[in-house]
Amino acid sequence: MSANITPLANPKGVKKLCELCQKPAKLQCTRCLVTFYCNSDHQQTDWTSIHGKVCSLLVSIHTPAPFGTLQSDREHHHKETLKKQKHLVEIAHLESQRWVSKKRFQDVLPAALLFLRWATRVHGSSAVELVPAYLLLAQANIGLGSLSQAHEYLSKAEWTVMKTPGCSHTVLHQLHRTLGRLHAAMGKYTSALTHFANDVYYASEMFGLGSTVTSGGYFLMADVFLKQNKPDIAQSLYTEVANSWHTHLCKLMDGISQSSTHPEKCFDEAQCVEADQMLGCILEFEEQCVKPRPEQSAMLAHSLAMLWLLCNNYTKALEYGKKAEVLIQGLREQNRLRESIHNLLQYAGKQLE
Amino acid sequence: MSSAVSGSRTSDIYSPHKHRLTPMSKSSAERVKEDPVHPAAERVPEALRQKVCVDLLREGFPRAFAQMFALLRRWDAADPLRLHTLQQRLASAETAETHGQYGEAYDNHMFLARFFTEPEDKWLKHHFIELALHSARKFKMDSGKREAEANLHIGQVYLEKGQLERALEHYEVFYQLTMGRTWQDPSGRMHHSRSCEELQKVFTLLGQRLLQEQDYTHAIKMFNKAYQMAKESGDRGSEGEAAYRLGLAYQSTGDQKTAKQFFSVCMEIATILENADSLGRAYEAIAKSLESEGKLTEATEYLEKFAEISLSSKQDRNLEKACMCLGNILSLRKQYDGAHEHFGRAYEIACNLESVVRLQKARVCAGSARALSMMQTYHKLIETPGRQNIKTIISWKKMRHGSLSAPLEEEMKR
Repeated sequence: MSANITPLANPKGVKKLCELCQKPAKLQCTRCLVTFYCNSDHQQTDWTSIHGKVCSLLVSIHTPAPFGTLQSDREHHHKETLKKQKHLVEIAHLESQRWVSKKRFQDVLPAALLFLRWATRVHGSSAVELVPAYLLLAQANIGLGSLSQAHEYLSKAEWTVMKTPGCSHTVLHQLHRTLGRLHAAMGKYTSALTHFANDVYYASEMFGLGSTVTSGGYFLMADVFLKQNKPDIAQSLYTEVANSWHTHLCKLMDGISQSSTHPEKCFDEAQCVEADQMLGCILEFEEQCVKPRPEQSAMLAHSLAMLWLLCNNYTKALEYGKKAEVLIQGLREQNRLRESIHNLLQYAGKQLE
Repeated sequence: MSSAVSGSRTSDIYSPHKHRLTPMSKSSAERVKEDPVHPAAERVPEALRQKVCVDLLREGFPRAFAQMFALLRRWDAADPLRLHTLQQRLASAETAETHGQYGEAYDNHMFLARFFTEPEDKWLKHHFIELALHSARKFKMDSGKREAEANLHIGQVYLEKGQLERALEHYEVFYQLTMGRTWQDPSGRMHHSRSCEELQKVFTLLGQRLLQEQDYTHAIKMFNKAYQMAKESGDRGSEGEAAYRLGLAYQSTGDQKTAKQFFSVCMEIATILENADSLGRAYEAIAKSLESEGKLTEATEYLEKFAEISLSSKQDRNLEKACMCLGNILSLRKQYDGAHEHFGRAYEIACNLESVVRLQKARVCAGSARALSMMQTYHKLIETPGRQNIKTIISWKKMRHGSLSAPLEEEMKR
């Protein structure tokens, strides 16, 4: 898989640098022959993060242009290469996002760096398409605790956005969310709240007030308010989050029961884990509250049950469904919720048999 | 709020999209051009909208933020001052709600509802009244007074919109809640009596709608309910009116006996209250019922009363109506001379009123009554043959270009 190379033996003027740390390289990937590393640790890290998925694609991108006599042949080749490069950027983007969702920040870096490098090559160095890469890198660095590094990436992202008039609200929402995370990590709670509020504003413009994307911002804000020791505000924010998710999941469930086919994958695994963590955290908060609100907890347990059902994990769905059932027993009027919990338990039970 | 303002200023450093404003405000100017209804109205600049919303959220008012955001999507015309008031009130309403002080939340929402008075802001008013109702429902400290008031307001909203059924729903709640209470509004009016009055109004409107659909049975039911409400409200005037309308509904089904009963209720009340207009209408309606029953003498009596009261209260239009009715009855009874007289009077009044339609009608009626009265005489002369009679007719024939029937009558007398 790897072959040793000797830096002194390189052709004059050619420097082989490590893919991850840009030091002189001593190893070469034997599959693609275009990627170099300073040691096998770096190669291993890159392989798990992204290289394993793009190695063969890199080969085809680096294939030299065939000797074409016709202008049209050369143009065709150029177009094909560009298409492959864009595909590569896309894969790197998705992979790094996946690592972020899983909170495996160490694994984000190689993928996000590849994303940034190839996006720069395809779109130019000041294109708005680079912003997602900067944001992913910043988020990974926040997760790893290197805040100054994160700040640097975010400054680049801000600069790029500033240079792009009419920037889409999606980009602005993501930028503010990451900025908010950075400020929260730095302990600057007031400015973190401002950024999250802006994030929620843009997300609402783009996806609507009740969307789950918007509620992500609410969740992060609630966290900051908790750190500021304002649990009642956090609670009202959590209520918003819980409501959006419950409505969203109920809608997805309705889709299943109407079509009565096997549920399509509504979430991938990483998204599911992320949502589970968020809802679980809120549920825990509700249960530890001074004034417990059983209807809120029941709704959250129901949401979690639906979430796992939609991810085809019927054991967990049953577990949360039963919890919801217990929670709702003490309540009087909640007939619709009770009915849907009942239906869910039946459905999950049938799937397990 | 001052901290919010200063805080947002620092946030501008982190809002690199600020200069997006220029293209945005340009598009707003275009929008104003496209919308000729409010040419003076200026769209809230994007930055201000965002600032107002974001300020609410970062201070920890997610529900107020959501409301503000949704409102600003629809609400184009606004000045910063009003936006600020809206922002503050929404925030304090949410604080009150979070701490379970629903009375305060209600007051804030009602303030906002009264704050929007422009006709194009009506939907905002409706929106806040609805919110106020929600808060009032949760507020139990005042044994339901605020809830009752909120129901009254929302009922009015639906009445304005013409959604009678929904208005009825809320007015009924208002009625139930105020039953047996001594609550008053600031002007000293009892809430319960108000509820009866509003219900009376809605039932009447519902009844009128059913009448238009020619569903008389249900219309009578509605008018009956309205009558009961009017009785309960203690307002004799509206009780009389309700009785009159109920009578009319019975009249249109042909139940003249019941109709007359209600008309006489109306008549009694009008006599006590000395309401000439209402009394006149009652007389007229009774006369009409009597006429359809074939009791023409009695009908004439009532019509004469109607004419009398209209004359004394100087209501020319009613007087003209009375004359026309009298004329009609007399011509039914083949008393064409009398009929002609009444029609003639009606014609004169109509001339004074300068009402062309009525004038023309009276003229035609008068003419035909005159003609019919002459026909009577003529037939009498023809039917009893005799030299004298023939001579009379011939002499009349020679002279008829003169005055109308005077010669003929003179001849007859001779």
